[in-house]
Amino acid sequence: MTNTPHAMIELKNVRKTFGEFIAVEDLSFSVAEGEIVALLGRTGAGKSTVLNLVMGTLRVDSGSIRVADADPYHDFRALRGRIAVSFQTDRLLPWRTAVENAELGLLILGVKKAEARRRALDWLARVKLTGAEDKYVHELSGGMRQRVSLARALAVDPKIIFLDESFSQLDHVTAKTLRTDFLRIAKEYGKTCLFVTHRIADAIEIADRALILTKGARIALLETITEESRNDAGALTALHDRIAAAMGGADDDDEEDDREAATP
Amino acid sequence: MTAGSVKTTSPPVPVASGMIGRPRKPANTEARRDLIATTIVVVVMIVAMQIASAYVPDYIMPAPLNVLESTKELLLNDKTHIFVTLARLAVAVVFSMFAGIIIGGIMGTVGALRPILRAVIIIDTGIPALSWMLVAVFWFRDAETRIFFILTVILLPFYALNVYEGIRALPRDFVDMVESFRPTRWQVLRYLIIPHIVPYIFLTTRSVIGYAIRMAVFAELVASAIGIGSRMSLAQSTFHIDRVFAWTFLLVILNFALQAGVGALEKIALKWRPEVEVR
Repeated sequence: MTNTPHAMIELKNVRKTFGEFIAVEDLSFSVAEGEIVALLGRTGAGKSTVLNLVMGTLRVDSGSIRVADADPYHDFRALRGRIAVSFQTDRLLPWRTAVENAELGLLILGVKKAEARRRALDWLARVKLTGAEDKYVHELSGGMRQRVSLARALAVDPKIIFLDESFSQLDHVTAKTLRTDFLRIAKEYGKTCLFVTHRIADAIEIADRALILTKGARIALLETITEESRNDAGALTALHDRIAAAMGGADDDDEEDDREAATP
Repeated sequence: MTAGSVKTTSPPVPVASGMIGRPRKPANTEARRDLIATTIVVVVMIVAMQIASAYVPDYIMPAPLNVLESTKELLLNDKTHIFVTLARLAVAVVFSMFAGIIIGGIMGTVGALRPILRAVIIIDTGIPALSWMLVAVFWFRDAETRIFFILTVILLPFYALNVYEGIRALPRDFVDMVESFRPTRWQVLRYLIIPHIVPYIFLTTRSVIGYAIRMAVFAELVASAIGIGSRMSLAQSTFHIDRVFAWTFLLVILNFALQAGVGALEKIALKWRPEVEVR
């Protein structure tokens, strides 16, 4: 008997078009339980379409998608509380304080107000926001807002977390700290994670595997990233170069990050 | 609820960081400045009235002291009429607000009904207030029903249209974020749409309050035997111009008080909103 890990996200021969435009062409991959997979690609590679398909906000033309053993589009409500999303921008509701934003998902899931507040406060502490609980959104810095957004996603205790360019709007130092914190939390609680990014540095730092997509969401490269490759300067540079070549070059804006990532 | 059911545009409320402008001056400084300006205008008006009253007969321009005396009299003897007008105004504004929120909400979230409701609202706003007043006299026997009807048909479209605009201005990002938790339709309404439209409701109330007072008085003049409007009509027909001025003075004070009340409520309800001053 083989001991194959259970696939939490599974795409089989997925195709999605918008009119004449083929956004996703015959895409298949899976993400095992507790695994962090990065979807890398340049703008227009189809990353966001794949994420929207997996989140159930778009319907596939053909092929199949299973997320936590459910069809994310047709069984939209079945994934209630089992998935959460951390977006590129924090998307905090300005009329709610930090803690009220963090508890929003819990309240939607029907958790009692007192329990939701307790869990939200707990998660704000874990993302190092103790003392900022009662601040309104405009009183928080960009990094703090992104942390609240992360706390909101993690507070519902989802099996699967989707990260949509979650760190790309932050400055390098804040982004790095937040990535480290996220990785610690994700590994500690065994979260499965699909991480969409165009920044090689982000992917190398937190992903177990990197899936590099080119136009039409075709898989150009599949790389397994190990601790050894992260800690070995030569291996890291080679890994970075392979990914950059598969993507058709790293974005100029991100070269500094990428150079940093290539240094163990 | 599917994401497609809510029309969205850009975020309406910018946050403080990165915003063009500078923090607003302390509220008390601004209030003091407003008070000084208002006092100057009032003093100039009183002086102008005093000068004019020396040159024209009393029934054209009464002296300010006579108006003050009449105001005192009205406050002592005609309080009931003030309360009646206030009660009519309050009932009509509150009803128009709730009905407007419901209609605007339906316009913003139910695509199939939007064109019909919008057409009704646009036609309503095109009908002159005087037409409604005359029609109300024919349609309803009871004075209260007449005034309630007149005020409602005039005020409701403002609320409906502004609430609809508020829903249209709901940022797509917020909708996607809330929908990622797979909420019910009621939860979308409770956690997203209702808090988002609160500033639009306050804005509408502040905008219509002065207009509503004028319409209430006008409606009373046409359709009722009690209330400030009817007393003004009586003062005019008995050549008590000082009382007409006194009622007008009281109406201005009433408008100030209501605006201040709504402003205070707004400050409490929208304490989350950063205040800025554009250079």
